[in-house]
Amino acid sequence: MTETPLIRVRDLRKTFGKLEVLRGVSFDVQRGEVMAIIGPSGSGKSTLLRCLNFLEEYEAGEVLFDSTLVGYRKDAAGRLRPDSERNIRRVRARMGMVFQSFNLFPHKTVLENVTEGPVIVQRAPRAEAEERARALIARVGLTDKLATYPPQLSGGQQQRAAIARALAMQPDAMLFDEPTSALDPELVGEVLDVMRTLANEGMTMVVVTHEMGFARQVADRVMMMDRGEIVELAPPNQIFGAPSSPRTAEFLRRVVH
Amino acid sequence: MSYVWQWQLVWDFRGVFIRGAEITATLTFWSLIMGVVLGLVLGMMRSSRLAVLRVPAAVYIDTFRATPILVQLVWIYYALPIVLGVQMGNITAAVVGIGLHEAAYIAEIFRAGIESIDRGQSDAAKSLGMSYGQAMRRIILPQAVRRMVPPFINEFATLMKLTTLGSVLAVNELLHEAENLINNTYRPLEIYTTVALVFGLLIYPFIWLSQRLERRWKQHK
Repeated sequence: MTETPLIRVRDLRKTFGKLEVLRGVSFDVQRGEVMAIIGPSGSGKSTLLRCLNFLEEYEAGEVLFDSTLVGYRKDAAGRLRPDSERNIRRVRARMGMVFQSFNLFPHKTVLENVTEGPVIVQRAPRAEAEERARALIARVGLTDKLATYPPQLSGGQQQRAAIARALAMQPDAMLFDEPTSALDPELVGEVLDVMRTLANEGMTMVVVTHEMGFARQVADRVMMMDRGEIVELAPPNQIFGAPSSPRTAEFLRRVVH
Repeated sequence: MSYVWQWQLVWDFRGVFIRGAEITATLTFWSLIMGVVLGLVLGMMRSSRLAVLRVPAAVYIDTFRATPILVQLVWIYYALPIVLGVQMGNITAAVVGIGLHEAAYIAEIFRAGIESIDRGQSDAAKSLGMSYGQAMRRIILPQAVRRMVPPFINEFATLMKLTTLGSVLAVNELLHEAENLINNTYRPLEIYTTVALVFGLLIYPFIWLSQRLERRWKQHK
């Protein structure tokens, strides 16, 4: 198949001061694919994810979303120049993002959180945005919490509302940054269920996670990262069944027990 | 010999206090407007990533906070005409001086308020495709303002009391009027006490309002 990938990353590099967080990362994500990113903390997983929608600026290499360079444009000499804010915002809006700490807007109700993006960024008519928001909120099972403020919700409910907020922008892809790491164990399942449904519906997803069960069952491919590099990128049965790298095997041994 | 309080005198000269209070309120109102508008701009500049905005704001804020307001007032009224040829009336000069001074403090309240909001909030706003302005207006400021109210009311009370320095420029605000009255009646105790009372009456409603707002927002959470 020669379809162009939705997300294409080439030789991505990023440093924080002297620390090299990403040391030349390259991979593709196809449309409809679910990619899980695993690896020890500090391996650069979250930074990589945040580079995809340019919440984090990268210094070298490129991220292409639907064949559009993210965050930069190339000048005549082929050098990277910062892109306009406008273009950055436009490409960002096509990717939904879900955060470890939910980051719902605490001064807005669940319904207002979900309509905020469509109304303010996409200039959708409020009535239309609300109708869509209600449908999304129903999908994540929060219809009885429409008028509730986030601080009054459980962590699992907040994360489900945050997923609805991201979906309201009708994104082409969803980025999940450790979506269940801040949750009490008994609330993890409800969030993973929503994500599993989304994956089954064909959403393109990149998920940084510590939930090995989810990665194994839902992901099409799993990326193992360590020290700013891709150690292994393969289907889950290979990663979990017969990892080709000793570093993957070692990491899995530590997280599973 | 025991002191005989003469409160009747205060009542007889009530017109003086009312007139003074009016000038004090006018000074407060206009310097507040100036301080808030300029303070908001300076506060945003101060928390900007761009050095061309951040550094001048920082210099302004530090200069005005590190020097006495009395000197600033005198300078604006007496030195500006010499240096720049700008001559203002004494009330205008007092408003400008107090406004410029307060802007530095109010800027710090804005900055601290904005910076107290978790970075995740602006990440979330950005990830929806919001511009800096949209994120500020819709997400950051509405939350920051709630945290700014208590320090802001503090600053407001300070500002109103600072207007008494207008007397240096011969502005007939409350304290200046009261001192004139003392020179004529030799009753400082009654008159100063009344001045304090009038200030209290002017300031207290705002303190009360701020406490009510805080309580309401707390329930909201």
